[in-house]
Amino acid sequence: MTFIKKHIPLALCFIFGVLTLGSYYVPNKASENYLEVMNKWENIVAGFAFLLGLFSLFFSHYNKIRRKVDGWGYSLFVFVGFLIMVIPAITSKGIQMDGATLTGLGWNYRFLFNALSGTMFSVLAFYIVSTAYRAFRIKSPQAGVLFAAAFILIVGKVPLGQIMWEKTLGWTHVGISQIVQWLMEVPVVAGRRGIMMGLAIGGIVTGLKIIFGIERQYMGKD
Amino acid sequence: MKTYIEKLLKIDRRLIFLALTLLLVFPIIRPLGLPNVNLGTEVISLYNKIESLPPRTFILISLDYDPATRPELHPQAVAILRHAMRKDLRVGMLTLNAGATGLIEELGERIPRDIAPGKVYGKDYVILPYQPNPVAVLTQLGMDLHQMYDKDRNGAPIKDMEVFKGIKSVRDMGLGICITGTALLDYWIAYTGDKFKFPMAGGVTAVSQAGYGPYLQTGQLKGLVGGMKGAADYETLIGVKEKGTSGIDALSLAHLMVVTLIVLANLMMLWLKYL
Repeated sequence: MTFIKKHIPLALCFIFGVLTLGSYYVPNKASENYLEVMNKWENIVAGFAFLLGLFSLFFSHYNKIRRKVDGWGYSLFVFVGFLIMVIPAITSKGIQMDGATLTGLGWNYRFLFNALSGTMFSVLAFYIVSTAYRAFRIKSPQAGVLFAAAFILIVGKVPLGQIMWEKTLGWTHVGISQIVQWLMEVPVVAGRRGIMMGLAIGGIVTGLKIIFGIERQYMGKD
Repeated sequence: MKTYIEKLLKIDRRLIFLALTLLLVFPIIRPLGLPNVNLGTEVISLYNKIESLPPRTFILISLDYDPATRPELHPQAVAILRHAMRKDLRVGMLTLNAGATGLIEELGERIPRDIAPGKVYGKDYVILPYQPNPVAVLTQLGMDLHQMYDKDRNGAPIKDMEVFKGIKSVRDMGLGICITGTALLDYWIAYTGDKFKFPMAGGVTAVSQAGYGPYLQTGQLKGLVGGMKGAADYETLIGVKEKGTSGIDALSLAHLMVVTLIVLANLMMLWLKYL
């Protein structure tokens, strides 16, 4: 059993990991053919992963409803929302527009999903404004720097702020857009580049650990 | 005075919500018409890149955003599409985000109606279906896209469509533009831009715009449209005022409200501490 559950997955991971990594650096017909096959397989597996995720989601929410845990009523909406989109998708054969008219799926997307999703995201704006007032306290030099940078960016990025800057500080002959440009091109890029390099090195190390079987959490516990 | 300030600092947040609602509603209903003068340099870069492409060049637009980020990103997509169509470029649209399909349908509906009434589907533009697994799709686009996309979103074979004449992979295209509220633009740069020397540009939300500075400096991105301000800038450049321009007034007021509230709250805190 150890051979099937442990050695074969590790060997497959090593072989395909090395081949795929190598194919990135060896641009010839054989590696392209290999990648084409792998890409098709990956897409098929991704399709099944969606299905697996769906079953897992349903199972988890079904259990919440069965056990009547706190807030189980919300779990009902997972099923309601799913059926509202899936039933019209099946009856419309997955098509959203039939000529110039909306199908059931298209109507539900445009007038339900669109509105609900947009509403959820826009609620963030209200929380940000409320939190800015109630929680942003400049109690340290770091918070002061953060506020100064945010202030310049906020004022410099919108027309009304630019007009106000010109009216009040125009005599300095320093344009707010020049300051914003400098902030975005020097300190922001420097910080972002450091983060990107750290992420990339972390990604490479994790990838190598998986290929060489040092990192095995993806295989489960037993 | 002290009690009054303490009360103000603990104000019911619903009052702040109400103030923001009022501040947003009025400029949306009746725009103030503030001039948008300082255009972003990276927006101008993208505009110039599209301007420099010869007619009938194929460009690929990946619309990877869903309704949550629609207010910022949809105006960008409309403006870029309008510009590309005006320049007589061939346009391919696709998505790697399952939630974006309906938004692409909306664009498909608007092209013959008001974006570019003279353009013909299959000859001047095409809409490809959603595909899962971005890395596989992006890698395949650099080799032979027909292996991944053999039909359009309505199931019609694409191989013989005039729009795809001479197009086998991204190597045959003039530009790729990924408009997204996720990290998919990084994937596009890594798996098609860098690997296949495919010129890439992007459209992103304002909050993630700062993260793409390194790509712009190295030339891995030929241009970047950031948030609603970027959309308004692009609309100004092409001379068509739409949702980006009309939204910028509300955005201005909301931004200034945030700054004012932070300054006020901190002044009140200082008052309580030192006076």
